[in-house]
Amino acid sequence: MIGFLAFSVRRAFQGLLRNAVMSLAATITMVLMLLLLAGLVIILSGLQAGLAFVEQKVEVQAFLNDGVSRERVDALIADVESLPEVADVTYTSKEQALAEWREQLKAQGKQDLTAVTGTNPIPAKLNVKLKDPQVHGQVAEKLKAPPGVVQEVVETRKVADAIITITDVLRTVGLAIMAMVGLTVLFIVVNTIRMAVMARADEIEIMRLVGASDAFIRWPFIFEGLLVGLLGAGVTLGVLALGAQPISQLTNVLVSQVPIGFDDRLGTQLLLLVLAAGTALGGFGAWISVRTYLIK
Amino acid sequence: MTQPNLRAALRLPKVQAAAPTAGTEARGAGPRAAIRDVLGGRSWLRRGQDPLMPDIRAAALALIDVTKVYPNGKRALVDVDLVVPEGDFAFLVGPSGAGKSTLIKLLIRDEIASSGVVYVAGQDLARLRRRDVPRLRRRIGIVFQDFKLLPSKTVRENVAFALEVTGTPRRLIAPAVERVLAIVGLTAQAEQRPSTLSGGEQQRTAIARALVHDPTVIIADEPTGNLDPLISWEIIQLLLRINQLGTTVLMATHNAEVVTALRKRVVALEEGRIVRDEIGGYHREY
Repeated sequence: MIGFLAFSVRRAFQGLLRNAVMSLAATITMVLMLLLLAGLVIILSGLQAGLAFVEQKVEVQAFLNDGVSRERVDALIADVESLPEVADVTYTSKEQALAEWREQLKAQGKQDLTAVTGTNPIPAKLNVKLKDPQVHGQVAEKLKAPPGVVQEVVETRKVADAIITITDVLRTVGLAIMAMVGLTVLFIVVNTIRMAVMARADEIEIMRLVGASDAFIRWPFIFEGLLVGLLGAGVTLGVLALGAQPISQLTNVLVSQVPIGFDDRLGTQLLLLVLAAGTALGGFGAWISVRTYLIK
Repeated sequence: MTQPNLRAALRLPKVQAAAPTAGTEARGAGPRAAIRDVLGGRSWLRRGQDPLMPDIRAAALALIDVTKVYPNGKRALVDVDLVVPEGDFAFLVGPSGAGKSTLIKLLIRDEIASSGVVYVAGQDLARLRRRDVPRLRRRIGIVFQDFKLLPSKTVRENVAFALEVTGTPRRLIAPAVERVLAIVGLTAQAEQRPSTLSGGEQQRTAIARALVHDPTVIIADEPTGNLDPLISWEIIQLLLRINQLGTTVLMATHNAEVVTALRKRVVALEEGRIVRDEIGGYHREY
């Protein structure tokens, strides 16, 4: 068994080196596909995190105009609280809102520019908690009813809907592209292994004649495919490791409002995903090739 | 069919392996039909059940009433009966296209007979499962006209390859290779590549490779076809010696000189039929 493994792996390496150009082409397309896969996963999980972030926030926010009297605000709060779908309304003053904002900036490690302005640009707001996050009812209309009090109403559902739409579109388009690139990679692996098989046609004939079992004939090629997959996965992971820092900075800039926490698990999941996808595709391609060109 | 008739049928020279001469007498339809009946009820093949029934499974090679029709309709072998007992040395002669290659392909189960039974080393090849074919081939050493050596490997590696790819433990490979290299007389050339060897040495390497599994049968397909007469004799001498060591040898050849000189059993094929099976020369002598 050990002899068989050593034999197969040794021949797989020989085959890989013998046909270096084709192996390289297969590896590069493999890397391309795996990078695409990793990118898709990163973006989708980022959007997922954003979605979760938005959804756990209050469902409806009303930003108030500056200089509205406390009485009018209290009247509005009472009005809104009287609605059957509302669970709770909390008021955040300009000062509190500013303090929260500064805390958020600090947590993200960004410079606090509000200290420089001298004035407070952050509006006061009402956070409306709904009994059922899906049932918004009259809340928005009620908030907007008294003229001049509310500057803007933000309904989380709409934001969430937008994110869900983006996620869906990205997932569909991404998967379609992935499928096409994956198919291309498969063809290239199949072709690579086919050429490896042809390069060994004489050896295979002799192996058959001297009574080598099918496993001995077949597995070196499957190992060769697995090797292409592993190599591609390795390069991809290297690229991802190098790119991780710039990418996370870029995402911070792009979605500064949403602190997307790429948790540690994502790294491990990506590692496993890339490895699994690479070896699976390499092995499967080789298997197809060996089935088509070896079995008689 | 009554029992006496059957027994009479079974006394056929061609089936009685010990008397391979005068085979041409047996080319009628009746005896073959008898054999077919016997094989239809396979119980007759059981060892020791009938003292007059030669145990075909004990023979190194046996083809009984074998016909091979290729998918394109070509009848490559027709009603072939051939039994080669263990330890025998037989020549297979006949013009190109007579069916020699097909016969060899049937013996190594590269092809399967359209009808009839092929026994090799005690195994009914029609009943052999696909995954058991490699084990069968380890019991057959095969030698070709074009040697089929791997140019990138040395003599020693070429021979060891046959053991390596059949999962032989590493520690057993080196001594086995040494042994067969000594038999074919290539110990001194063990580290050379085929391209630096003479044709005779290359063929001896191929024979060493065929021997390394310690096969029951060596099948040589025109082993001297690419060699000059002197070297051909060397190869024949080697095959005779291997035969003396107990291995059955079936050698397909066009080399009339060799066949005629050796006075061994000669099986002649013509248009897919065995037209002669006797001890003698390359050409019919009467």
